[in-house]
Amino acid sequence: MVALARKTLIYEWRRFLPAMLAVGFAGLLQLLQIALVLGIFGSTSLYITGSSADVWVGYPGTQSVGQGRSIDADVASRILMDPAVERVEQYLWVDGDWRGPRETGGLSVFVSGIDPSANGLMFSKALPPDLRQRLAEPDAIIVDRSDLQQLGVSLGQRATINGHAVRVVGISKGLRALGGVNVLCSLETARRIDNDPTDNGPTYLVAKLRDPAQADAVAARLRGDTAFGPYTTWSASDFASRSVRYWMFDTGAGAGVLFLAGIVFLVGAVITSQTLIAAVNGSVLEYATLNALGVGVAALRRVVLEQAFWVGALGLLGAGLLGIVLLLLARSQNVPVVLNLPAALACIALVMGLAAVSGLAAMRSLRRADPATLLR
Amino acid sequence: MPTASAIESTVQPALRAEAVCKAFVSGRQRTQVLAGLSLSINAAELTLISGPSGCGKSTLLAVLSGLQKIDSGRVLALGSELGQLDLRALERFRLQHTGFVFQGFNLFPALNAFEQVELPLSHMGMSRDEARARARRSLEEVGLAHRMKLRPSELSGGEKQRVAIARALAKEPELLFADEPTSALDAANGQMIIDILHRIAHTHGTTVLCVSHDPRLVIHADRVLAMEDGRILSDRRNHAPIIDSKEIPS
Repeated sequence: MVALARKTLIYEWRRFLPAMLAVGFAGLLQLLQIALVLGIFGSTSLYITGSSADVWVGYPGTQSVGQGRSIDADVASRILMDPAVERVEQYLWVDGDWRGPRETGGLSVFVSGIDPSANGLMFSKALPPDLRQRLAEPDAIIVDRSDLQQLGVSLGQRATINGHAVRVVGISKGLRALGGVNVLCSLETARRIDNDPTDNGPTYLVAKLRDPAQADAVAARLRGDTAFGPYTTWSASDFASRSVRYWMFDTGAGAGVLFLAGIVFLVGAVITSQTLIAAVNGSVLEYATLNALGVGVAALRRVVLEQAFWVGALGLLGAGLLGIVLLLLARSQNVPVVLNLPAALACIALVMGLAAVSGLAAMRSLRRADPATLLR
Repeated sequence: MPTASAIESTVQPALRAEAVCKAFVSGRQRTQVLAGLSLSINAAELTLISGPSGCGKSTLLAVLSGLQKIDSGRVLALGSELGQLDLRALERFRLQHTGFVFQGFNLFPALNAFEQVELPLSHMGMSRDEARARARRSLEEVGLAHRMKLRPSELSGGEKQRVAIARALAKEPELLFADEPTSALDAANGQMIIDILHRIAHTHGTTVLCVSHDPRLVIHADRVLAMEDGRILSDRRNHAPIIDSKEIPS
C-alpha cells in the first residue's frame, strides 16, 4: 500500500505545520495545567503522603485533612486490638493565629502536633530525623523555608500562636500548605497551643500496619464501631485522594480546570480541523481522480484520518519534549508541579481526541471530491 | 481468422446509451444537456467525441462512465446497467473495469510517478509485487521507464499526462475514458498522448472513449462523433490506415 497520508504529510509539512503546532500547544497547555493543579492541590494531602501511616482514623464525614474534629483518644486501644496493626499514634491539628516578631497582620497557621520520637509516623517522609528530634523540646516549632517571609520570622526567633509562645528550632522544605502556613510541633506543644475547649482528644489517630498492602481491608474492618464515640477509618491513599478531591471539586478549582481544558480543546480543534480541511481541499482533485478510478470514499476517509493521527502524534511528541523541559525548569524554581501517569494519559487522550475530531471534520470536505466535477 | 469472442465484441458494443436524457437545474434555469441520446461504442477502438464547448460531450462522458446519474433512459457498460448500481457498486465497477484520464493531470504532489501508478492498484486487492510489476510495465509502456522516481514538480506537462495514462492503464481496464487529454499540452505532446491512447485501444483491446474539441485529434481516431446541442450530428469512421508511432520519444 502506498503510504499516501504519510508521504503527503512529509512532502507538504508546511501545510500541516499549523495543525501540529495547534495540537502541540493544546497538549502543552493541558499538561502544564494538570501538573500545576496536581502540584498545588497535592499539597493538601501532604499530611498523608508525607507520613508513613497506612490507616487514618478520624471524625466521620471529614472531607479533607484540615477539617477534622477531635475523637476520643481511647479509640487507639480499639485500633491496637486488631492484630494487623503494629503501631498507633496521635495527630493533633490546631488552627492557630500567628503573631511573629515582625508585624504581619492576622495570619492563620495550621499547627500539626506530632509524635517527635525517631520512629514517629507523621511527616516521617517530609521531615529529616535530626529536625524531628528538635521538636521534643517544649514550644519548639518547625516551619517551611518558603514561609519564612510570610511569617516574618527566622531560625531561633520567638513568636506566638494563639497567644502561646513558640520558638523556631528548625526550617524544613516541602511543607507548604494551601491557604495557610504549616507549623510542626510536638503533641504536647500543640495541646498547649490549642485553646478550643471542645477539643478533648486527638484530631486523628494514625496506624502503621504489619502489612501495608492490607490498608483497605483493615480500614474497612475497623469502621462502624461506636463503643468509643464517633469515628471512622480510611486507608491512607483513600484519605489522600479524598482530600485532593475535596479541593479540586468542592472549591470550584476542578471546574476551572475542566473549563480551561474545554477551551483548549475547542481552540485546538478549530485550528487543527481548519488546517486539515485546507489540506483536503488542496488535494480534492487528486482524491476525486482516485474515486473516479474506483478507490472508495471509505479508503479516502482513512487517508484523512491517518493524517489527523500523525498530526496528533507529532504534536504530542513536541508537547511532551517541551513539557518535560518546562516541568524540570518549574521544579528547579520551587514551583509545585506534579505529573502522574493518569494525568499524562488524560493529556494524551485529550490531544489525540482533538486530532480525531479535527480529522472527522476534515473528512466532511471529502464530499467535494466528486469525480463528476472533474469533467467540465 | 477472427475468434468467436472477437466477433462477439464487434457485435456486442462495450458501451451503449439508450434514449439518455440529462438536464441540469441551476436556480430556476433548467438546461437540457442530453435529450434522448442513443449511441453504441465498440471495443478495441479509439472513439472521439468532438464538438464545441457546452455541447454536452463531457456530460455524455460522465454519464457513460457512471460518474453521473441520468434522468431517464439506460446506460449499459460491459453488459451492466449503470443505473441499477448503487454508489458502492458503481465504485466497485469503476475499480475493476474503468480508467480515467483528465485534462488536469491530478497527480499527488508528494508521490513519485511510480507511486502514482501503484496507488490505485493497491486498492484493487492485488499483492504488492503484482502491483509494482504492473506499475513498472505500465510506465514503460508510456515511455517513462527512466522517470519513475520523479515527482510531478519534476515532470513536464506531457510527462505528467503520460503518468496519468499509466495510472489508468495499469489497472488493465476494459474501458478507458479521456476528457480533453491534450488541451493543456503543446502539439508534440498532444500528438504523443493521442498515439498512446490509440495504441492502448488496439493492443489491449480497450474501449477508449475520448472527448475533445481539439481538431488535431480527429485524424487519429478510429471513429469520430460530432456533437452539438446534446445530439450526435455525424458519425464518421476513419478508414485511412492509421500509423501507430512505433517509438515514444521521451
